[in-house]
Amino acid sequence: MTEANPLVLVVDDEVQIRRFLRAGLELDGFVVQDAETGGEALRWATLKPPDLVILDLGLPDMDGAEVLERLRSWSSVPIIVLSVRSNEAEKVRLLESGADDYVVKPFGMAELLARAHAAMRRHVRVSSGEPVVKVGPLAIDLAARIVTINGSRVMLTPKEYRLLQLLAQHAGNVVTHQFLLKEVWGSPHLHDTHYLRIFVRKLRQKIETDPTQPRILLTELGVGYRLVVPEPATAAAS
Amino acid sequence: MEAVRRELRGSAIALVMVAATTLVAYVLIQSLDVRRGSVIYLLPVLLAGWHLGLIPALVAAVAGVLWSGYFFFSPYYSFYLARPNEILNLLLFMVVAVVTSHLANRMKRQTELARKREKEMSDLYAFSRRLATASSAADIYLAIEEHLASLVQRKVVLFGANSDTKPDQGMLTQHVHAAIADVQAGRTFATTADDASGDIWLVRRVSQKNADFGVIAIDLGSIPPAALDEMRQRVDDVLADAAATLERLGVARALNDAKMRSETELLREALIGSVSHELRTPLASILGAATVLSKSAAVAKDERLTALATVVRDESERLNNDIQNLLDATRISREQIRPRQEWIEPQDIVNSALERRRRRLSGHRVSLDMDSNLPFIYVDAVLVEQAFVQIVDNAAKYSPAGSPITIAAKRNGRDVVLSVHDQGAGLTAKESAQIGERFFRGKRLAATTSGSGLGLWIAKAFVGANGGKMEAVSAGAEQGTTVSIHLPFATPASQPEVGPDD
Repeated sequence: MTEANPLVLVVDDEVQIRRFLRAGLELDGFVVQDAETGGEALRWATLKPPDLVILDLGLPDMDGAEVLERLRSWSSVPIIVLSVRSNEAEKVRLLESGADDYVVKPFGMAELLARAHAAMRRHVRVSSGEPVVKVGPLAIDLAARIVTINGSRVMLTPKEYRLLQLLAQHAGNVVTHQFLLKEVWGSPHLHDTHYLRIFVRKLRQKIETDPTQPRILLTELGVGYRLVVPEPATAAAS
Repeated sequence: MEAVRRELRGSAIALVMVAATTLVAYVLIQSLDVRRGSVIYLLPVLLAGWHLGLIPALVAAVAGVLWSGYFFFSPYYSFYLARPNEILNLLLFMVVAVVTSHLANRMKRQTELARKREKEMSDLYAFSRRLATASSAADIYLAIEEHLASLVQRKVVLFGANSDTKPDQGMLTQHVHAAIADVQAGRTFATTADDASGDIWLVRRVSQKNADFGVIAIDLGSIPPAALDEMRQRVDDVLADAAATLERLGVARALNDAKMRSETELLREALIGSVSHELRTPLASILGAATVLSKSAAVAKDERLTALATVVRDESERLNNDIQNLLDATRISREQIRPRQEWIEPQDIVNSALERRRRRLSGHRVSLDMDSNLPFIYVDAVLVEQAFVQIVDNAAKYSPAGSPITIAAKRNGRDVVLSVHDQGAGLTAKESAQIGERFFRGKRLAATTSGSGLGLWIAKAFVGANGGKMEAVSAGAEQGTTVSIHLPFATPASQPEVGPDD
């Protein structure tokens, strides 16, 4: 985070939700811009390009998914979607149409902030070319293709590395099964989730202290995988 | 025309049979010198009477008389009769033949009638059984439709009494629909309409007296206008009978009951659905606001205020779970559980459930016992996780704070078993038998522990939807409980090819 006070656009039609989001985000150092409708959100996004968008899916004027797609057609701003429980298919669809992550209502502020910061950090990392992702004891040097735990080198096969690399590039945010399968094994294997299960198990045996209770590579049931939020490299708690 | 042709054909066959008999008679006479064989001609008469009807039988009788005169009455090999008593003999034969053919024909008809009655009775029995078990008006209408179709022996479409639409009516044209609407609206009792292909449809109320039985459209095919009245008369007769039957079987009451039931059910579920949604929106604000408050500097430095913020958060989470249970229960009773199965690491399910219940379990000593190389299972991971969360909730709820809870994931034969063991209230034998039933709550603890009796019922349904089963085992009251989920595993059809470079 380079700027002192990043601008966040909060899109939600419920006034009470907007109110607590504003309080929580301002406490965390954000400058908040509210929008009640999809139309308003798109106007604000062009008028004052935000550093982060928090988007509720149930909007009065248009589908949240549509707002997401229209935003994505010209902007790469990090977007966190507010979703409802037990609709994994919808979460996957939103992630594939460009959302960086989601939180399920009802949610705590800490959870939302963790997701938001992870997405923003990725954005910074991509634009600044910062090569090393640190997750607890694990360090992934994306430029040198070297993985270490507490400084000692971990040997990975090419596919294991590719998998970890994709997760590291999105560290802190969820990555869908479909995306991983397509990137590592190619389109014909889009539905072979068990390939993924096998390689994740191998990967966990190499990077987790207790592979049966992973602390680094977490499963998001029905959606994908998540590398836990990396250590804040630049900002402690802005 | 059709009837005349049938009789002509029958008569021809009868004559062939007589000819065959004559051949046999000729052989008999030639080889054995039989002279009293005229009775052999009763055979074709009998056969014709049984299979072909009265007229062919009479034809066979006359032909038989002529031929027996030829073969068996002197002078032989001539149709001429010498003595008067032989004329009498022949006349007698004629009478016997006619009576025989008549009897054979009547017996045949009686048998057919009996068979038809039996089929009608069994149809009717099946129909009344369907009525008794029908769960909705649509089911009943479908039963009536099939019943009437088998009675009329034509393609029929039945519509409810109201102008409710029916799926799958592509075969009806606009004319027919207009006619149906007319009858439904009560503008007319019966009418006809022709569809594009020239078929004529008879549209009328099933019953003259009772509009509840609906409106029926019968495809009469392309019949000439002259035959229409006769056909209508036949349909009227059949439907009058059918309507009387429907009346007797209490179809009207069954229909009303079914409608009431489904409407009440729909209303209740719509209510649950909308109330749950309405409750959840403010809950999201309450919970979110509580988490913001607990982080604010003013609250964080005062322990009492932090504790209060935590209360708000915990209680709204609990409320949210209760709402989720209500929604899940509605989904289960509506049979809307459609598992999205995928291969999953069993321990991922356990870990995810524990993560979701981390705060709730923080008051207990939780220990984990998971095999590291469990086979993958092919289930809807989200549903199984929900089930496991319910079991964990139960363990936390019915065992004292600080007591241990052991969570295990093991392989057992062809199953992967996920289990939760607590050292809490346990189950009496009676409770063991009832656990997992909808709304069941143990009487011992119902007063002191809040709950809806839905949790384990939901868990059982979710596990069942994934082809597994749930078990609760306890040594008795205050002896702790082990609740386990058994999920069969299979091997994935294809394995990734792992080369040295992978």
